[in-house]
Amino acid sequence: MKSVTEAPRRDGDVNTQGDLLFSCSGVSVALPHTLGERKVLDDISFDVRHGEVFTIVGPSGTGKTTLLRVLGGLTRATTGSVRINGRELTGPPEEVVIVFQDYSHALLQWRTVARNVALGLERREDADEIKRRVGDALRLVKLEKNADDYPWQLSGGMQQRVQIARALAVRPSVLLMDEPFAALDAMTKASLQDELLGVRDQTGTSIVFVTHDIEEAVYLGDRIAVITGSPGRITHTFDIDLRKPRDQVATRQMPAFLEFRYAVHQAIGSNAYG
Amino acid sequence: MRAAVKNLRSLFANLPPLRGLLPIVLLLVFWQLVQPGPSPYFPGPVQWWHATLRLSDRGHLAAAFLSTASSLLVGLALAIVIGAVLGVLIGASRRLSRALDPLLEFLRAIPPPAIVPVAGLLIGYNEGMKLVVVVLAALWPILLNCAAAVRRIDPLVLEVARSFRLSRWETMWRITAPSVVPSLLTGIRIAIPLTIILVLLVEMLTSLPGIGALMIRAQRNFQSSEVYALLVMIGLFGFVVNDAFLVIEAAILRSWPPRMAAT
Amino acid sequence: MLMAREATIARFNFPGLLTIVVCAVIWELLVRGGVIQYAYFPAPSAIGVGLSELIASAAFWADVAHTLLAVLVGWLIAGVIGIALGVLMGMSPSVRNYLLASVEALRPMPGIAFVPVALLLFGFSLNTELVVIVLPALWPVVINTMGGIAGVHQRLFEVGATFRLPRARIVSKILIPAALPSILVGLRLSLTLSLVLAIVAEMVGNPTGLGYAVVRDQQALRPAQMFADVIFIGILGIVLNQLLVQMTSLLFPAATRALRTA
Repeated sequence: MKSVTEAPRRDGDVNTQGDLLFSCSGVSVALPHTLGERKVLDDISFDVRHGEVFTIVGPSGTGKTTLLRVLGGLTRATTGSVRINGRELTGPPEEVVIVFQDYSHALLQWRTVARNVALGLERREDADEIKRRVGDALRLVKLEKNADDYPWQLSGGMQQRVQIARALAVRPSVLLMDEPFAALDAMTKASLQDELLGVRDQTGTSIVFVTHDIEEAVYLGDRIAVITGSPGRITHTFDIDLRKPRDQVATRQMPAFLEFRYAVHQAIGSNAYG
Repeated sequence: MRAAVKNLRSLFANLPPLRGLLPIVLLLVFWQLVQPGPSPYFPGPVQWWHATLRLSDRGHLAAAFLSTASSLLVGLALAIVIGAVLGVLIGASRRLSRALDPLLEFLRAIPPPAIVPVAGLLIGYNEGMKLVVVVLAALWPILLNCAAAVRRIDPLVLEVARSFRLSRWETMWRITAPSVVPSLLTGIRIAIPLTIILVLLVEMLTSLPGIGALMIRAQRNFQSSEVYALLVMIGLFGFVVNDAFLVIEAAILRSWPPRMAAT
Repeated sequence: MLMAREATIARFNFPGLLTIVVCAVIWELLVRGGVIQYAYFPAPSAIGVGLSELIASAAFWADVAHTLLAVLVGWLIAGVIGIALGVLMGMSPSVRNYLLASVEALRPMPGIAFVPVALLLFGFSLNTELVVIVLPALWPVVINTMGGIAGVHQRLFEVGATFRLPRARIVSKILIPAALPSILVGLRLSLTLSLVLAIVAEMVGNPTGLGYAVVRDQQALRPAQMFADVIFIGILGIVLNQLLVQMTSLLFPAATRALRTA
């Protein structure tokens, strides 16, 4: 396939540095383990461009979540450099928010939906601005009617929407999403995938999306990085040039979609067992 | 306002059926029929009522209740503040929790009434000592519940705080403090009956003004109907204090998931 | 083997022990150095001497035996009545409806308020103590047993029905074992409460036992002995509690998990 490129691919050659949102080079991470340390990620290099949906797909245990946490500034890279908009990352940067998989624990159970969404704005914006932004964010995820409900009164899909709205309310330039739809049923998952792409089109927010679901990675992604092995390495990247807007039925039946799905599958399979 | 009405209504909906009071009513009626007059041991309930009127005529009753209730409330308030602050601080540090755990467990195991004579000897029998004893009794359940609640906070919530770049102080107020509230309320609920026992005990042992002193004096003078009258009043007092707290607790926990609020 | 030993060592709380030792040493130094100048504030060493004197005296062990007797008899009576009442209320909604409000009305009654009444009726006697212990210690058992029985899943009744077990066997083989964890929780709460109430009853009611010992040593201005009494009572509480947990884990291993976490 023409769009398959062997990693590590250096986009920096094509784009000027200023266009890059994230730029990782030679990142490895070792985490404390029962005895000593364990290397989770090894020599990871990739770039994320402004406005794209960058999906990271791989089997469990390959350090996908750790990689996302590195981008979010929650975990420090042991070696290598991570840059956001050209700056070296030292902690959680202001243009980044993480959306966690486990929505029930990531939401503040004692706050209403609206007050959960306001969490990142309090004391930083005045009351009118908070009200306006919370309203906008809730409209984006179609939860404006549930502003006064408590998270525990909502379904799983709605709770995950609250978390996305909460992230959008601070107007980040990028959302880091850690398998956000993994715990949801298939129908809810499909509708949230389309909502997420809609949000991206309306706001221009970039998205880095970690998943172990190959179809999801292809359906959402503008580009895909395949991560395999332990410690995890990026072995392939793909440019997904499927037509937009994507459609749950039509897109998934396109020959190109099936080819990408097959190619990613091969990329994971050949390394996971080899 | 509408929320308050809804609260009260749901509280009444959870009340057990009132016909459950029938055994008490039957017992009292039976008692009155068997022993209508005064008796050194079992004066009838109507006698209790006369005794109540006599006590309140002498003006002792209101003053005694006021004194007991104010010791209770002030002591409880102090214990809540001290217990919550210390509990959160201890719970926030794994090392501190581990280092203090055996000491706190031992202090909690001492039945609070046993410290009354100790406090009496060290401080003397006065209102300040009454407060100290109440605070010490109420402190442990509150402190230990708060510390455990801090330790139970889901690490993910703290990551959310970091991801939104909340400061240490903001994390404390927005995440830690609200997470502790249900357990704090549980601690207070456990502490209330203990504090009532302690206040009454101090009053009985020392004749500091209060219902306890009133009751032990009545017993020493063999005024049996006054003893029974005070027993009923103390029962009502305990009931009102406990249930008032349950109403407050339910109102505060309205925002929490029912499962969390129940524990 | 080695791993098990390492785990035991890791679990043993050295910092916790150190805290207690350091606190005691600081206390000792403050008293000896004259920083705390309080006539009745003994140093830990003096309390230790007091404690050793107590343990050597026969009169003290008579006090301990009396308090233990009151606690255990009171707890047993409360346990038997409480479980019976709780099972009835848990099984039959009509019994529950005709009793629960009474229970809820009597439950917040502070146990100490029974002391003057019991004194009127029984004077200075063990009976006075038992009245003060049993009435309040009843409620945790009743409420937990009732909750445990009422919470037994309907499916278990259906299991009993499909094997056509007689009613008595459904109660003894299904209901009570299923409710056992919460019954044990109630019994444990009740045991702690029994000790507290025995101490109260002995302080203001029947002048014998450990509760009275604290008051007596206080009035005789023997602070070291008084502190020793209090510490001994605390140890007694821990020992009783541990005995209950160990015994139930021997007798009912399956039901004890709930007890440990409660």
